Amino acid sequence: MKKVTGLVSMLLVLSMFLAACGNSETGGEAGDSNKVTAWAWNINVPVLEEAAKKFKEENPDFELEVVEMGTDDVYSKLTTGLQAGGKGLPDIVLVEDDRVQGYMNAFPDAFVNVSDKGFDEMKDSFPSYKTELLSKDGAMYGFPFDGGPTGVFYRTDIFEEAGVKAEDIKTWDDYIEAGKTIKEKTDKAMIGLDLNGDDGLYRMMLNQQGTFYFNEDKDVALTSEESKQAMEVQQTLNEEGLVKETVGWDAWISAMVGGDVATAPSGAWLYGSITQQGKDTSGNWGMIQLPAFEEGGNRASNLGGSNYMIPSASANADLAYDFMEFFSTNEDVQLSAMEGGLFPSLNTIYDNEAFTKEVEFFNNQPIWNLLASEMENIPAVNYTGDYAVAKDEAVKAQSEIANGKAIDEALKASEERLKNRIQ
Amino acid sequence: MAKNLEVIEQSTNELTLAERQQKKPKKTKKKLKAVWMYTLLSIFLVVSIFPFYWMFIGATNDSSKMFTNPPTLLPGDQFMTNLTNLNESIGIFRVLFNSLFVSGLYVVIALAVCASAAYVLAKYNFKGKKFIFTAFLLSMMIPYQATLIPLFQMMSDFNLLNTYFAVIAPQLCFPFAIFLLRQNFLAFPTELMESARLDGASETRIFISIVIPSMRPALAAASIFLFMTQWNNFMWPLVVLNTNDMYTFPVALSSLMGLSYIDYGQVMMGVTLATVPIIAFFLTLQKQFISGMLGSALK
Repeated sequence: MKKVTGLVSMLLVLSMFLAACGNSETGGEAGDSNKVTAWAWNINVPVLEEAAKKFKEENPDFELEVVEMGTDDVYSKLTTGLQAGGKGLPDIVLVEDDRVQGYMNAFPDAFVNVSDKGFDEMKDSFPSYKTELLSKDGAMYGFPFDGGPTGVFYRTDIFEEAGVKAEDIKTWDDYIEAGKTIKEKTDKAMIGLDLNGDDGLYRMMLNQQGTFYFNEDKDVALTSEESKQAMEVQQTLNEEGLVKETVGWDAWISAMVGGDVATAPSGAWLYGSITQQGKDTSGNWGMIQLPAFEEGGNRASNLGGSNYMIPSASANADLAYDFMEFFSTNEDVQLSAMEGGLFPSLNTIYDNEAFTKEVEFFNNQPIWNLLASEMENIPAVNYTGDYAVAKDEAVKAQSEIANGKAIDEALKASEERLKNRIQ
Repeated sequence: MAKNLEVIEQSTNELTLAERQQKKPKKTKKKLKAVWMYTLLSIFLVVSIFPFYWMFIGATNDSSKMFTNPPTLLPGDQFMTNLTNLNESIGIFRVLFNSLFVSGLYVVIALAVCASAAYVLAKYNFKGKKFIFTAFLLSMMIPYQATLIPLFQMMSDFNLLNTYFAVIAPQLCFPFAIFLLRQNFLAFPTELMESARLDGASETRIFISIVIPSMRPALAAASIFLFMTQWNNFMWPLVVLNTNDMYTFPVALSSLMGLSYIDYGQVMMGVTLATVPIIAFFLTLQKQFISGMLGSALK
């Protein structure tokens, strides 16, 4: 009997311990009207904390709790919470550009209408492609934060060795010619692509031409002229042997910093990765805008970027709004974002020294200035709620084309499949 | 005759020669086979050890070293730097405590629950027993995605979000453990239980003092499964835990995976730390674990 009572009492003690833990953790959360909780991923955390410090100067009682989690984890938790009817959600959540419209469509009333709270006054401080992304029926449902203005990151050492001048690359045809020369002289690939896994280049080229997987009416547009042109450029690169297959993000970065490929067209945020992971390559980098499709055509595009949203379930939405309005429009806060390699979309700061300065890592080129000048020219496009499925189909088409299928045919088949999938 | 004999002798000689010739290659064949086997085994060894080695390389090098070409294959000197960085990012001790506490407590309670269930299903006869057992087994086929949201809603309604209890509770009754233990309990001699009954022992007493002690190997095997399940559990803790100081190891590690920048030095250090307790737990229970597995296989 001793053992039985022992076991039972042990379980009792344990369950009491459990209950105690439970109470202490839940007790703190309820009813703190000065506390705002935010979900965000790594490089965004210091920016939020910096903002909270500044916000506190005028609102001494204010308290911000940032819950740091992985990017995908934010979506897992957010989706679960929203599906459970708005339970366990934070007061502020960070959502990427390509996910925003999906959430707004799937959970129409789940986010706070910030236009109602007066954010429209600040609308002009942000590029139109950002504010349009966050708008639905004329009202905004989030705060624009960072953007992903694109550029071609290139290795100056490889370009020099091949005797190619990056500034002379004005169109995608020039880009392909430069690639051929580089291939010939240095035997290095022009670009790293994951043809069976990701379609970043294709998306950039679509956005550059003012369209996307979906056109301005939100209809599927994989067979548009723009789409065909983009695929053609990509396929020519592939056929000429200028592409190095890099499967996944890590292989791509490592090809870049290892000097196996000469260029990487990408969003501004790539700066953070290459400066951290390619420390020894400082000074060997340069940047040009994306080549245009025809001489004098648009060279501005966007890849990535994120926004803050307030779930309607927040018990503290007013305070969260006040804080986020401060966060979004305070110039010092937004400048501090640049330390982590984030590119703020607040356009009132683009004449600041942080943007005009020469960047040592990039051979003293003022790259931030170049990127900032792009922002107002980035076309607004429709990601819609079906972004993920559409991307899946686009990658399939891209992969088929790389394996020899005709561009028209592959895009048409993908468009048909996509239409079936989203009906 | 002599000639004949000679012929016979010759032929026997020939035979033995032939035999010898046959034997020799047999030996070398055996040797060859062994060489081949060991080469194959060492390849498997390298393949299975290398990820762990790479993990260690990553943990002792700067993040940028993971991307050099050719790859860095020697341990670096960044062990302490990565450790301090990791500690700053996720708070190693708190997270380690959370994981150990959650997993340890889970093993104790789940083992008690599963062992009792398995014992009843193995040794008692009652109506609907088969049905209950089948239901347990079938529940293994429900994907966790299907239960995620209803469970989450439940925890939220009970006001249990962000508690250790919420992490542990849903999986306390673990069908696979019940199955594993039941198969082992089946082999326990019913005569022993009957004689104990004749001696006046209560049913609880029989279970705790007679059945359990002789089932140690099976219990050890089950507890390793339970420990591993809870230690590696990711999705559920991620969903129910809402503050960084409650995070378990996998969730905390995942929080290092940002969008464009990931410090692999920290990640690899974290993974190394997360692997150690599992190895330790396995090594202490290894003997029981293997005999427990064999036990259920032989019956």
